[in-house]
Formats: sequence, C-alpha cells, structure tokens
Amino acid sequence: MDALNKLPLNIAAAIRGLFGDPHSIWADLTMTVIGIILVIVLIVLAALILILLERKVGGWASQRPGPNRLGPRGWFQTIADALKLLGKEDVTPAEADRFIFKIAPMIVFALPMMTLAVIPYGMGMVPIDLDLGIIYYLAISAISTLALLMAGWGSNSNYSMLGGMRAVAQMISYEIPLIFSLLGVVMITQTFSLSKIVEAQSTIPFIVIQPLAFVIYFIAGIAEVNRAPFDLVEADQEIVAGPFTEYTGLRWGLFFLGEYGNMTATAALITTMFLGGWQGPGFLPGIVWFFLKVGIIIFLMMWIRWTFPRMRVDHLMGLAWKVLLPLSLLNVLLTGLGIYIYQYVLRIGG
Amino acid sequence: MENKEILRKRVDELAAKVNGDVQEILNTLVLTVKGSYISETLTAAKNFEEVPCDFLHDLTALDLGEQFAVVYQLSSLKGPQTLRVKALISRDTPVIDSVTRIWQGANFLEREAYDMFGIQFKGHPNLKRIYLWEEFEGYPLRKDYETESIEKRSVMLKMRPGE
Amino acid sequence: MTLERTEELALNLGPQHPSMHGVFRMIAHFDGEIITKIEPKIGYLHRGLEKLAESRTYAQFIPYTDRLDYLASPHNNMGYVQAVEKLAGIQVPERAEYLRVIFAELARIASHLVFIGSLALDMAGWTAWGYCFRDRERILDLFEMTAGSRLTVNAMRIGGFSQDVPDEFWPALKSFLDDLPEMLEEYQGIFYGNEIAMGRMKSVGILPKELAENFSTTGPVLRASGVKHDLRKDAPYGIYDRFDFEVPVLNGCDSYDRGLIRLLEIKESAKIIRQAMRDIPEGPIMAKVPKVLKPPVGEVYHAVENPKGELGFYLVSDGSTKPARCRIRSATFINLQLLPAISIGWKIQDVIAIFATLDAVLGEVDK
Repeated sequence: MDALNKLPLNIAAAIRGLFGDPHSIWADLTMTVIGIILVIVLIVLAALILILLERKVGGWASQRPGPNRLGPRGWFQTIADALKLLGKEDVTPAEADRFIFKIAPMIVFALPMMTLAVIPYGMGMVPIDLDLGIIYYLAISAISTLALLMAGWGSNSNYSMLGGMRAVAQMISYEIPLIFSLLGVVMITQTFSLSKIVEAQSTIPFIVIQPLAFVIYFIAGIAEVNRAPFDLVEADQEIVAGPFTEYTGLRWGLFFLGEYGNMTATAALITTMFLGGWQGPGFLPGIVWFFLKVGIIIFLMMWIRWTFPRMRVDHLMGLAWKVLLPLSLLNVLLTGLGIYIYQYVLRIGG
Repeated sequence: MENKEILRKRVDELAAKVNGDVQEILNTLVLTVKGSYISETLTAAKNFEEVPCDFLHDLTALDLGEQFAVVYQLSSLKGPQTLRVKALISRDTPVIDSVTRIWQGANFLEREAYDMFGIQFKGHPNLKRIYLWEEFEGYPLRKDYETESIEKRSVMLKMRPGE
Repeated sequence: MTLERTEELALNLGPQHPSMHGVFRMIAHFDGEIITKIEPKIGYLHRGLEKLAESRTYAQFIPYTDRLDYLASPHNNMGYVQAVEKLAGIQVPERAEYLRVIFAELARIASHLVFIGSLALDMAGWTAWGYCFRDRERILDLFEMTAGSRLTVNAMRIGGFSQDVPDEFWPALKSFLDDLPEMLEEYQGIFYGNEIAMGRMKSVGILPKELAENFSTTGPVLRASGVKHDLRKDAPYGIYDRFDFEVPVLNGCDSYDRGLIRLLEIKESAKIIRQAMRDIPEGPIMAKVPKVLKPPVGEVYHAVENPKGELGFYLVSDGSTKPARCRIRSATFINLQLLPAISIGWKIQDVIAIFATLDAVLGEVDK
C-alpha cells in the first residue's frame, strides 16, 4: 500500500529524471504544466460526474428515477448534454457590454483552477505548495463575486443585474464568517500552509476539535458557491437564471464548469482543513481517501440543495451577520482559551 | 323560508323606489332596473336590513338584441340570500356606472364585460381590454359579431400549391 | 451636495418564466428588491370558451369545461352539468351523484397536491414537489381506470355519469385513502414544518378579511383570511348536504395559512370520500335524458366549490339546443386581482410565494 501511496511521487521523480538536472527550471516548469493540466482534467471530470450525480441525487431525494435513458442507467446523460452545449449558437445580446460579457465566464472558470492548484491531494501531491495557502485560497475564491457581477452587468438584462447585485451582497457577507471560522484551525496549527495543516491532523482531524468552525464553514461555504438554500443569485423562480440568463452554449457551460469546480474546491478545502485531508487508515492510498471525503461533503451539499427551500434575502443576511459571525468570533475566543489552557497544562506537566 | 320572505319584501320595496321589475326564475329573485339606477340599486341591496346582499359573485352582460343587460349576481357570506340584478342599457350608447367603488373585485369583471361586449363603465380606474389585444376590432360576445370562417382563417388553405 | 437617487427597475415576469403557473404575465416595478407596483397581464390562453358555448349543444360543451381548471376537471364537469340539469329539470340517479362526489373530491385532493408541490417549487423545495406529484399520480390512475384520460377526465354527462367505475377502482381508492395520512405527514415534515419555508411565508402578504370580501375572493384564499364560507356547506349542491365534514378556517391571513389550509382541506375531502364509499348504492348511473336536449326558456346561476374557489355557470336558455349565453365565473380570475393589492411593499421572492398561494390556473383565468 505504501508503494501505491508513493506511486505518483515516483512517477514525478521519474519525469524529473528525464532532465539532466532534476531541479532545473525546465523540470520545475514541466511539473507545473503537468499539475495544471491535471487540475483542469479534474475540474472537467468533476463537472461531468457531479452534474450526473446531482441529477441522480435529486431523483433519489424526490423519489423519481432521474436520468435513465442514455447509456447504462443514464450514465451518458451529461456527455450528451455537453455535446449539445457545444453545438449551440453563441449569442451575445445586442445591447450587452461585449468585453465584460465575454470575459466573465472565463474568469468564473479560471478561479477554481487556481484554487484547486494549492490543495494537497496526497502525500507530497500538491501541484503548487504555497506557504500562505489559506490566504491565497480565500483571496482567489473571493474574486468570483466580481465575475458574477461582471456577468450580471455585462448582460444588460434586469434579471442578470438583480442576480449580480445579489451575488455581491451575499458573497461579501458570507466571506467574513468564512474567514473567521478558518482562523481557529490556523491558531492551533500556527501555519497558513495547507500541506502542514494536513500533516497536523495525522492523529485527529480538526472536525473533532473545531466542530463549530466546521459547521460555520460548511454553511458559509455553501453560500459562497451559491448553492441552495442560498442560491439567490441564480434563483430560477424569481430571476430566471440570474447572471447566466443571457448566456448560451459553451459560455453558459463554462459557468456550469466553474460552479461545479467551485463546489469541488470548497469541498476540498473542508476536507483539508477539517477532515484530515488525505490522511486515513492505511488500507487505501491517500488520494482515494481525499476524494472519498470530498465526495461525502459534495453529497451532503446536494442532499441539502434538494431538500430545503430557498431562503429569503433578508433572512440570508440575518443569518450571516447575526448568527454566523458572532458564532465564528466565539469560536476564535474559545480556541484561544483552549490553546492557552493547553499550554498552561503543558507547562505545569513539563 | 323566512329569509326569503324578508328578501322578497326588501327587493319589492327597492323595486318600487328605482322603478324596477321583480321576477322569480328557478328560485332566484331577479330584479331588473334601468341602467341609470344601478349605483343606487346596488348600494341599497348591499345595505339591505337583515338580508344584506353584500358579496358580488359575478358581473357579466347579456346581449338581448335591442338592449344589453349587465347582470350582477349578489349574495352574502352571512346568510343564504341570493339576488340577481339586471341593468338594461341601450345598444347604441352602452354606458353604465362602474361598481368598482362598491366592490373592488368588479375591476377585472368590468374589464371583461368591456372587452367582450363593449360596455363602457363610467368611473372605472383602468378600463382596457383584458383578454384581447388593444387593436382588436369588435366585441366577440355580441350576437352580431361575425366569427371568421375556417376557410378565411386557415393558413393551410391560403397556401398556393408548391408553397 | 450630491443628491442620492435610486432608480426603479421594471421587471417582466412571464408569460414564459420559470415561476409563472401557465402563461400569466406580470410587470413588476422594484425599488431595490421591494415591489412598488405590479401590473398583471392575462389573456395569453384565451380561447373564447363563452363564445364557443353559443355554437355548441349543451352536451357538446362538457369537454370544454375540462379545459377550464385543468387540475380539477371533474369539478368543472360537475358545475356545468348540474347547471344544465337545474335548467332542464333533470333528476340524477343516486349512484351517479355519489360517483360525482367521489370524483370531485379526488380532483380536489389532486389539485391541492399540485398546489402544495408548486408552492414548494416556487421556493425551490424540489423534494416536496416530488412527493406531491408522486402521490397525485395515484389519483390520476384512478381517473384513468374509469374515464380513460388522466387530466381532462370528462367523466360526467348531463343526467349522470359516463360509465360505472371498474371493480379494481374501489380497492385502489381505499389503499390511497389509507396511505393519505402518512403522505400528509410527509408534506408537513418536508415543507410546512421547514424553518426556511415558514420564515418565507409567515406574516407575508397579509390579506385582511374586509379586503378579501370586498374583492369577491372565494375558496381557500378567503377561508385563510378567517371567513367561513364554503358552498358545499352554505349552498349545498348535489348531495353534499348528506356528508359530515368540517370547513377548515384559519385566521392568519398570510401566505403560510393560505398554504396550510389546503393541507387541512385534503383531510376533509378524504373524509367525504370515505363516507361516499360507505353509502354508495347500486343502481343506474344515467337518467333518461332526451337525445336532443332543449331546456325551457330560462336562466340559472349555479356555483360549485371548486378547489380554487367558486366556479359559477350562468346559463341562459332561449329554448333551442344551444345555450344563448354561457357565462363562466372562474374563481382564480377574480382572486388574481388581489395580487397587486397584497404584494406591494414585499420583496420579489415574497411575491412569487404570494402568487403561488393564490393558486392561479391559467386555463380558468383566461377561459
């Protein structure tokens, strides 16, 4: 099993070995390009699988079959949908702000690519290992607000505009409890590096020590990726599809890819921060553990989406400012106290 | 049966006042008045002592040839009384007072009657066609409205061979 | 000094819009997220049923009534055929009367299930919607067994019922009624008891009693504003006076009560069906009705308590085979006027919920 665990590292070392100097700039560049390609493949694959999974979970939740025509038990449905999207005409509204309109989906798609690049997928398997991984992650994921506002503004449609406005209001509000809930983990581990945080959880995952932070991050994370019950941005019963209303074909598909990529990124960060990342009992390789945990978080998100009605905009804000923010501050306080007491006990004991 | 007798009495009194005519058709009292008396009649009916007819069920119109009748179906949520009031107006000048001041619920109903019969309701806040589009010509539920024959309407029949 | 000014936003909702039931259209004006003005526009499904009736014989018009409130077509059939029977003085056999009641109440349950499902769906509660449509399926199966069609049942005839129910109908109906309490519990749990749904509907879209009466509101919308008015009790038609049931009344006047009252009504409908199943006699299902029906000169206004409210037929006969005038008083057409009145000042999301609680069916609104 250890061999399996180390297999990706060995492959990487072999590739580096092809160069004269395994640590030359060319070797590093090659490895980075391979890493980015793998991340893109991950996003596309994740979107393909997750869209199908979403429909299957939706069918399961409301007791209907879900997609079941194309391929064995409907497994090819997403592929057919993706092909259909490729064949659609690319329409830009006449009154749209063309540059902003066209660039917005690209930004939405690029962001999960950038965030997923810093996640440790297995032992030593970090495409780009940053010392300030958490800060980088939060900074990048916050840009998606801007992309949605650009899409809403650029489309020059009232539905889109309302959706873009909602996106800004909602995501900025939820950013704050989101960041504060991660602070507890950082206080314990004394590091911003995601791979070090995973290593710190080799004995016990932080969900046990920081249950409150986990719950806050989970809720705020769902809000951050605009999923039900916080999907006010694309509330189809009210504003049709929010910022995505005017998009067609592949551009619209990019939004979808971005959405599911963001969802994967959030689940990956939850796994890394609270569930021990790739750590797990030795009978499975680390990367399998990692994706298993990500899958469970994503399934929970889908389950919630298909069960709960959508929140109202004022309740949504109330939840962020009146409940989650005080609770996350309380969590920081409790963590600080806990660390202080722990160190005190250690000092007595030592 | 007492309710019915009281109602009959009240309606008779009212009919004398507004120069109307009372009939009983299939167990329902029908009060027919001139169109110009309608506001007065309905206000009085709404405030009948003991048997108020204060709930407007329906408002529609009938094409009687020389005249139109605007028909009001009244009853109450407080008792079993029902009353039908018919207001007769001439075909050439189909104008009648709006009852939206008495019942706000008459708003759509009067618009519908205007749409279908071309009856003008004086004092209606927003008298526009409701089902049909503004440019539509004619009033479909009038008896003299001619519906286009299927030959005229059908796109298929208008097509030339090879089209 | 700068002057801050916010601009009003006009939003067109419908006729093609995910939340619009059918082809309703409204133009909503917003200040931020707050509604300042609503203009409802209808007529996209107008088929001129009243005009069509004047060129059809009395019996020929029955299938058209199915297309009024297409979620509860047996009710429309019943209102129309009873109006004609009243006009022509036809006595209906007992068994047919009972079958009519069973079908009408089943249709009420089916219609309310669609209501609950679509109300949940308008708030993105997909699962509740799935549950409701899953259970409604069983009622449609019952209709299909008897009349062959599921939505536009068209089972009633002037003077009786089109055909007797098959033998497998009764056990299927019984098992449905036995499962019903459990289903209602499920809806209660997944939707009505949900914190988010309650937060969105409680104290929202207040419709005071006086306003409701003044607007000629009928049906569950009126009863949720604290007025006890149900034609099945207050002006019994058919054989409704033989059944023992309650008329649920709620005093909340808000969206939540307008939603909840449908759930309570389903229970009462089930009660009526059980009594009808118990009492239904054997016998013929059609009265002797002349092939060419010529009701005497006269007029009649007959109203039934449709799931959405009062459905009235005002028939005027000139003694010929065709009605001189067939006026349809549809409940949601009139209830829909409330929308601008009760949604000003609420948020766009609330208005979607308020509109859903009015339970408009455009087949009936547009006629």
